[in-house]
Amino acid sequence: MIKKILAIAKQETSENLYYRFDLALYIFNFIIQITVYVFIWLAVYKNGNQILGMSFEQITTYYILVVSLSPIIDWGINETLGNSIREGEILKELLNPISFFCYYFGIRIGEMIEALIVGVITFFICSLLFGVLPPSGIINFLIFLVVICLAVIVVYFFEIIIGMIAFYTNSVWGIEIFKRSILNIFSGMIAPITLFPEFLQKIANLLPFKDCIYTPISIYFGELSNIEILQVILKQCIWIVALYIIAKIIFNKAVKNITINGG
Amino acid sequence: MALIEVKDLVKKYKISQKKHGVVGYIKHLIHPKYKEVTAVNNISFNIEEGELVGYIGENGAGKSTTIKMLTGLLTPTSGKIEVNGIVPNEKRIQNNKQIGAVFGQKTQLWWDLPVIESFKLIKKMYDLSDKEYEENLEKFTKILDLKDLLDKQVKNLSLGQKMRCEIAATFLHNPKVVYLDEPTIGLDILVKENIRKFIKDINKEQKTTIILTTHDLKDIEEVCDRIILIDKGNIIYDGEKENFKNEYGKHIIAEFIIENKSKNITLETSEEEFEVIEESENSIKIKFNHDKLTVMDVVKSVSNYCEILDMHIQEEGLEEILKEIYRGEIIND
Repeated sequence: MIKKILAIAKQETSENLYYRFDLALYIFNFIIQITVYVFIWLAVYKNGNQILGMSFEQITTYYILVVSLSPIIDWGINETLGNSIREGEILKELLNPISFFCYYFGIRIGEMIEALIVGVITFFICSLLFGVLPPSGIINFLIFLVVICLAVIVVYFFEIIIGMIAFYTNSVWGIEIFKRSILNIFSGMIAPITLFPEFLQKIANLLPFKDCIYTPISIYFGELSNIEILQVILKQCIWIVALYIIAKIIFNKAVKNITINGG
Repeated sequence: MALIEVKDLVKKYKISQKKHGVVGYIKHLIHPKYKEVTAVNNISFNIEEGELVGYIGENGAGKSTTIKMLTGLLTPTSGKIEVNGIVPNEKRIQNNKQIGAVFGQKTQLWWDLPVIESFKLIKKMYDLSDKEYEENLEKFTKILDLKDLLDKQVKNLSLGQKMRCEIAATFLHNPKVVYLDEPTIGLDILVKENIRKFIKDINKEQKTTIILTTHDLKDIEEVCDRIILIDKGNIIYDGEKENFKNEYGKHIIAEFIIENKSKNITLETSEEEFEVIEESENSIKIKFNHDKLTVMDVVKSVSNYCEILDMHIQEEGLEEILKEIYRGEIIND
């Protein structure tokens, strides 16, 4: 099964890599984004060199990591799936000899590989431009990677659920915008979550998005204890199971009642 | 036991009845009204292994609905389907492994990649051995003339080229059953011929059971042995193609080249005798029921009004027969 998922991922990656110019533009766009963040925070740090316990080097590293990680987390497949449902392409996907979720997971990994290429290149260019703090230790760095992998699975099921809304509404554009802003705020993409008012922090702790960007970066800096790391991983696993069950229920129900578009 | 068993199959759709305009739309939101439409109404048939069946009917007769239920994409409202012992909509993935399907213009090929890459992925997804894959690829490349296409990107292919690749992709994993839903739509004659030959060859060699829906009756005429005709959700004919023609095709069309016409033949002859389709100064086309009249009878009555120089006799083709059935001129008892 894993072999098949990887085969699909490879196919999706080669299809995406066909648009190399797009990749270059993404990277360029991300570098500009990071530059803007760095200059904003440079202005903020003029009056002192510690804000909420973070140094300027830390905040620069934070944003370089945020922007480099963001495509891995927020590109996703909800749009692909939504379009496929709207245009009736899903017909072919439902006829595959592997399950729908596995097929789309392959597509998701393919997208992630593209995002990874963009992210890694952005990271290296920006660390040369602005300087970046190294991870606090090799083990922390490995845990950082593990938590990100789990985060991808969490957001994957979220994307599946959002994409499947197209079964009922025929369009996912609105709900996708909604998902994106929730993700942006609660993952810490806009600003470190510790800058938020307390009630927002409480909400962020309940939702799984914080563990997609903010938590892995905290692990990168070595700010979490072993117990806290275990808690994070456990929380992610629970979310994966819960979202999988919800997605499965919606899928089974939808497939029973679909009228496939386009004849 | 037959390979495909369909018994008392019914599919009803709920269609929401939206009224036009903003007010109607809001009314629909608050109190939606649905109309129930029966797409497939209690049909039963069995298909044996290796059969090549033409499944025909007008647009909206319920063909695609039936095919989608057979592939497990739609859940029947009631009734039973078994394909090789599997209930398709309950064990979809398991069923998918043994079937292949072409749905009109929808493609399973990867748009931006060379065709061969899509084939390689199919090989992996269906766990084909290298030998099976190479053998099929070689055979299909030969029959469908794919040699120059395999390295081209799918988006650069013409419709005909794409369909040839699509057909190859559908048969690549040696499926037991293949559903072809209008595979020849929009293609030129040569490509159509190519695809028909492929379907016939594979059916003969691999004993693949094939169900074909089409509006091009030449497809049926050249490829299929058996016809299932569906009209308004009901099967109105199920049997051999030749019997179908014998049963319904009782009419003969005779075209005469004439001269020295004395009277207007259309006005002189009664409709009960025969039907004049076309009449001009030096030709006349007549359609008559072969059970009631012989060719000589018609020649005699026409020669009362003119001199016959030449004549041409044609049996009714599948197309004419179907036209009559669709118009309701032939009533099935």
